Amino acid sequence: MDTALAHGLGFPVIALLVLLPAAGAVVVAMLPKGRDELMMPVATSISLLPLAVALYILWEFSVADGAAFQFTESVNWYEPWGIGWNVGIDGISLLLIVLTAVLFPISILASVSVQKDVKLYMASMLLLEAGLLGVFVALDLLVFFVFFEMTLIPMYLLIGIWGSENRVYAAVKFFLYTAFGSALLLAGIIALAVIHSTETGSLSFAFQDLERLALSSNAQLWLFLGFGAAFAIKVPLFPFHTWLPDAHTEAPTAGSVILAGVLLKLGTYGFVRFNLTLFPEATVRLAPWLAGLAVVGIIYGAAVAIVQPDVKRLVAYSSVSHLGFIVLGTFALTAQGLQGGVIQMVNHGLTTGALFLLVGMIYDRRHTRQISEYGGLASVMPLFAGIFLFMAFASIGLPGLNGFIGEFKILLGSYLAWPVLAILAASGVVLAAVYLLWAYERMFTGPVTNSANEGLTDLSAREIAILVPIAALVVFLGIYPKPALDRIEPAVDHIIERIESVTDYEAPQFGEIADLPAASGEAP
Amino acid sequence: MSQIAFLPIAPEIFLLAGAVLILMAAVTVNLGQRAWAIIAGLALTLSFAAAWVQWWRLDETGPQLHYLGDFGRTPMIVMDYFSAFGGGLVIAAGGIALLGGWRLVASLERRGAEYVALALLAVAGLHIMVVAANLVLIFIGLEIASLALYVIAGFTRDAPNSDEAATKYFLLGSFASALFIYGIALTYAATGSTSIYGVTGIIAFFSERILLDQGVLLIGIALMIVGLGFKVSAAPFHQWAPDVYQGAPGAAVPLMASGVKIAGFAALARVLTVAFDASIEDWAQVIGAVAALSVVVGTLLAIAQSDFKRMLAYSGVAHAGFMLTALVAGQDGIPSLWFYLGTYAFQLIGTFIIASIISGVGGGESPLDDYRGLAKRSPVLAGSLTLLMLAMGGIPLTAGFVGKVGVFSAAIDAGYLWLAIVGLVAAVAGLYFYLRLVVLAYFYDPVPEVADVPVAASRATRIALAVCVFSSFVFGVIPWPLLNLTGESLPL
Repeated sequence: MDTALAHGLGFPVIALLVLLPAAGAVVVAMLPKGRDELMMPVATSISLLPLAVALYILWEFSVADGAAFQFTESVNWYEPWGIGWNVGIDGISLLLIVLTAVLFPISILASVSVQKDVKLYMASMLLLEAGLLGVFVALDLLVFFVFFEMTLIPMYLLIGIWGSENRVYAAVKFFLYTAFGSALLLAGIIALAVIHSTETGSLSFAFQDLERLALSSNAQLWLFLGFGAAFAIKVPLFPFHTWLPDAHTEAPTAGSVILAGVLLKLGTYGFVRFNLTLFPEATVRLAPWLAGLAVVGIIYGAAVAIVQPDVKRLVAYSSVSHLGFIVLGTFALTAQGLQGGVIQMVNHGLTTGALFLLVGMIYDRRHTRQISEYGGLASVMPLFAGIFLFMAFASIGLPGLNGFIGEFKILLGSYLAWPVLAILAASGVVLAAVYLLWAYERMFTGPVTNSANEGLTDLSAREIAILVPIAALVVFLGIYPKPALDRIEPAVDHIIERIESVTDYEAPQFGEIADLPAASGEAP
Repeated sequence: MSQIAFLPIAPEIFLLAGAVLILMAAVTVNLGQRAWAIIAGLALTLSFAAAWVQWWRLDETGPQLHYLGDFGRTPMIVMDYFSAFGGGLVIAAGGIALLGGWRLVASLERRGAEYVALALLAVAGLHIMVVAANLVLIFIGLEIASLALYVIAGFTRDAPNSDEAATKYFLLGSFASALFIYGIALTYAATGSTSIYGVTGIIAFFSERILLDQGVLLIGIALMIVGLGFKVSAAPFHQWAPDVYQGAPGAAVPLMASGVKIAGFAALARVLTVAFDASIEDWAQVIGAVAALSVVVGTLLAIAQSDFKRMLAYSGVAHAGFMLTALVAGQDGIPSLWFYLGTYAFQLIGTFIIASIISGVGGGESPLDDYRGLAKRSPVLAGSLTLLMLAMGGIPLTAGFVGKVGVFSAAIDAGYLWLAIVGLVAAVAGLYFYLRLVVLAYFYDPVPEVADVPVAASRATRIALAVCVFSSFVFGVIPWPLLNLTGESLPL
């Protein structure tokens, strides 16, 4: 067993990052039965440990080498199959790891309304965190797959046990949909390893080995589709999105936050990390189709969100629309679009996570999610209304808040590649304003129409404490996104350069727009 | 007279001695079930130890064929890593299954001795199937095991569905045996040998001349696949399984289901990949088709079940398909087949033990509604059930996942990508019915009539279940000790 620790400390920080929440889940499971009041403080403190490690990684991360994998660890697990604990962090995964580590303590703190089987709930949350962090650090495809699947079971339990009325249906639908995608992903991963073995004589699941394979265009196409199926369902890309509204709506608040904030990003992250790098030729070939589906998703998700009578479902459909932006930016195959896509993964996690938290807080008070049940809340809960409006603006992409920079870069990058698609996608920003502000108007403005709402209390200190860190990040990334972009940029440029070097594709540059006014014809 | 080599037949000697001792003890001095337990435990432990010694000795002697007497030059038993591993596995599975169903022995009173003796005989027969180097000896092992198991299936003879199960098992099983031996006869007609190792040589020697009647040989191979396909319940030869698993005494099903699968696959693997290695092009296609049919039919029918034991029977058809998937790769697929078989056998034993705890040691129905709210009645049992279901479904960090990666890798490596995709899609569809148990156990409240009925299991049952659950989990997290072992377990 050779242990190569590239980083100076000689200490496996990534292993620590992933193992802390997993060990925490075991600790929580062993706490004495019946002491439910212990669970939340213990779980919250445990979830602060990976946050500390993530912040340390953020601090130590070398911006100059953003394109390279850092903190790498490599330990052989089973030599004949070429499987190993092979992990590392680059500029693309760095911020997603920090996002995950930030959202978990917040979600756990937001779970006061969970009364039944608190121990199992907290253990599931921590196990979910371990799985999600594992996905973002894994550089061995089989290890990646194991973590990818490991996230399913805790989320399935979260929806199925602590969800609302229709929870069992939603949980099973969520599980089967995503597991179906995973089956094709696993077939693709094994096929890739077998191709490696026929070409080099040894099986390997290591990303760095598989990256070097020269695949035929036919093999690339099929493998892209196999990997892509799993990621498209996870994102979810239109028309694979039908599991999402059910799962989001039925899940408990913390489940929705994690589902929207992090779990959906496994799909977009998978596209960026694996499809773009491993199958560059197929990526170039299929990019217009995926970008087209993304735009359909943007408009469709927004249109359906407008007519939702249920505010949680509205936020869920807004995710379909927002995730469409991320996919569009990714498959614009320009540095700007991809940068926008990666930063938008973080932004969407923060704003939609916050919106789900807010919806959960009002649900805890009134036990209804119907917009028509509310009205005039701004006069009863002014602080709540203010934060809701603030997060809605961030979600719409108001300049000065975090959503703006991501959507701007995505639209810029995709305009370079497919102007018509970019223009269509821009209508999604307008529609976002329609559904969010209209919902705000119906729920918060005017006089209090429903007497049940008259006695509602405004946000408690705990609820404010949950929302403040997110709001601070929303403002910080909105005003000064440079530190984040500096870390993403080298890794993103590296991917685009690689695609250009192995295929005859050339990413469009700014200067070319003037020369090619008719480029709009390329849209599918 | 040459020296008799005792080591290769030591497991059979211990098992038969144990069976005979128990029967004699039962008719002379009634020592009670504690004594039978000691004798059976001793017999199984000694025969397992013998298998272990066989493995250990192989490092010095290398694989060897053992012949029948002085005159015949027909090898009868083959001592190779395949035999030692498979033999040990079959004995271990038989032992754990017997332990898990020991409550049945207690409830049978004096007839319990017969049951234990028959179980030991069955294990001996199954062990012969694994180590045999001759097609006829495989058949003899198959019959020893089958006859014992037919009786066991009908052991609770006052229960009507036990009778039905035994009759069905006997009629269809004998039919399969007849097909199998007819296959042996045709192979003999084509090659002039019943020895697995002789057949290889003859096919290799004659393949360029026309002395060999290719058509007769192919029909022979096909009939043997059908015969063993019945025993391992691969589609379309699976119809007996649900009725038998449901009707036979619940506590005896773990032995019947797991033991026959292990030995049946071992025999199939050795016959196909050793004797007919040269004709792999011919039979791999057939195995691939049977595998695809099994996973699809097994999965679809399992989804439609409302009875736990019937669901497990159909899921067993799908699992037979997954294991056949490894076999299309010939000898290269054997390590994956062993890993899958070795871990699945214990998952199967564990789930049937749970079924016998919930639905009783006798035969009969086990409606899925009985599992509602199991987590409230017994958290430990619900947790065990969940882990076993996840392992059968092939979720990562369980042994089922490693097994599935192995068999699908073997198939893709052999150029059967389509089969792997069919299998993976079916595996996901299969999650539906494995998860249904988890849903019932955790997401619902118990049915009022049984809510307060405590779930009771004897210590023996608990130990056996713990072994099954533990192995399903441990070999999912640290699979390499077993992977290294199965990687070596190749036939001579």
